[in-house]
Amino acid sequence: MEDLDSSPELALEKDPFQLTVEDVYDISYVIGKDLLKIGGEPKGQSGRISDLQFKIVRVLELLEALVSQCNLNMEELKLERDNLKKEFERVLNEGARGDADQVNLGPDKQVIDLTDPDRPRFTLQELREVLQERNQLKAQLLVAQEELQCYKSGIIHPTEEQFVTIENDATASSTKRTAGNNEDYTVIKRLFSFRQGKHIGYCGF
Amino acid sequence: MLQLVPPVSKNRVLSDFPKWYTPEACLQFKDQFHVQVRAACQQRSTGTIGLKMSKVVVVGDLYVGKTSLINRFCKDVFDRDYKATIGVDFEIERFEIAGIPYNLQIWDTAGQEKFKCITSAYYRGAQVIITVFDLADIQTLEHTRCWLEDAQRENEPSSTLIFLVGTKKDKVSSAQCKHTECDAIRYANEMQAEYWTVSAKTGENVKEFFFRVAALAFEHSVLKELEKGSGPMTQIGTGNLIKVEKDEAENVKGSSQASISCC
Repeated sequence: MEDLDSSPELALEKDPFQLTVEDVYDISYVIGKDLLKIGGEPKGQSGRISDLQFKIVRVLELLEALVSQCNLNMEELKLERDNLKKEFERVLNEGARGDADQVNLGPDKQVIDLTDPDRPRFTLQELREVLQERNQLKAQLLVAQEELQCYKSGIIHPTEEQFVTIENDATASSTKRTAGNNEDYTVIKRLFSFRQGKHIGYCGF
Repeated sequence: MLQLVPPVSKNRVLSDFPKWYTPEACLQFKDQFHVQVRAACQQRSTGTIGLKMSKVVVVGDLYVGKTSLINRFCKDVFDRDYKATIGVDFEIERFEIAGIPYNLQIWDTAGQEKFKCITSAYYRGAQVIITVFDLADIQTLEHTRCWLEDAQRENEPSSTLIFLVGTKKDKVSSAQCKHTECDAIRYANEMQAEYWTVSAKTGENVKEFFFRVAALAFEHSVLKELEKGSGPMTQIGTGNLIKVEKDEAENVKGSSQASISCC
């Protein structure tokens, strides 16, 4: 605020509301210099002058206190003004971006940062559907794994009973089956009907 | 499932009734299957066979080890790292009980509060409710009551078997374990549940526990089927439990898949 090269006398000509603490020091320097000159002149007056000197010092002290207080207040107000400006702009932006609900958040509301890559985006219904699909796929996988197991063991250990059931199935026999081979029947039937042509020759003969 | 049944693995074959963990909180003391159930199972050899599936839901606070418990039994693995379950997951475990193929459909649910609205939809139709808590965290035991209430809300209370399981036995001293078990047994009696202490990490009691679940659920469902019929013996050959003809096999297949997809 103050020009470094300016002479201390200039402080006296300043607008009182532009005055800084440094200006007050300049003024006290100028007055002090003048008082020293007066002090060195005729004797007898020195008593009165030194009285005046104390009063002047006191006035300067008062001035110093007032000016520094004034400057501090000014800084604080400036800071507050800047903060309010920022806050106002933020609220203004938010209001423009979202609807009125987002600004006046209720107790059960949440603000979502749209720039956060990890922000919540999917609905409960979507999660439900994904889980359901996952479960269905897992169920299918389990069925396929069991089928594979059947298939493998069927090839490695083909028993006569199984071939009999294949033949029965192929001829659409409606004869009752025993409990023992019912399980095998269904397994082979499955292999038979699903892999007909490709595996039946291999599997059977 | 019925149309495709590879042999049940040898370590899933149950012929004797598995024993309880503690007589202070157990669902029954018998060491044999119910006489009617035994008779029905024996009939199978001369008649036709059926396949039953029971739905099990596993509930409890997050990080008590529900997934670890299931993974130890179904896959015989233990993962040290915690990975929260998202929503629900399931496993199907195939048993042969008293000569009858029997499946447990084990539903693993997320313990996190935010998933409750999803998981609760999967409680419906459960024959078994397993409430799990961490032996090293007494608060999780206190919460089992709420978990059970939530799960029961979707079911008929009389139609479900309830188990209370304390996990992470490896993490607590034997003195602490005993102390917590005392509390847990009190809770179990209030909940009309059977109590078990297990460790998924070491595998202690895990297999025994699930065998007990399977046996009790099997017996329960066979008895219920028998009750439904006209007489205990006459309907075995003609009822839809044991006897499955070719066409019915297709129906059961359809309905079992539907039961998975609707959940």
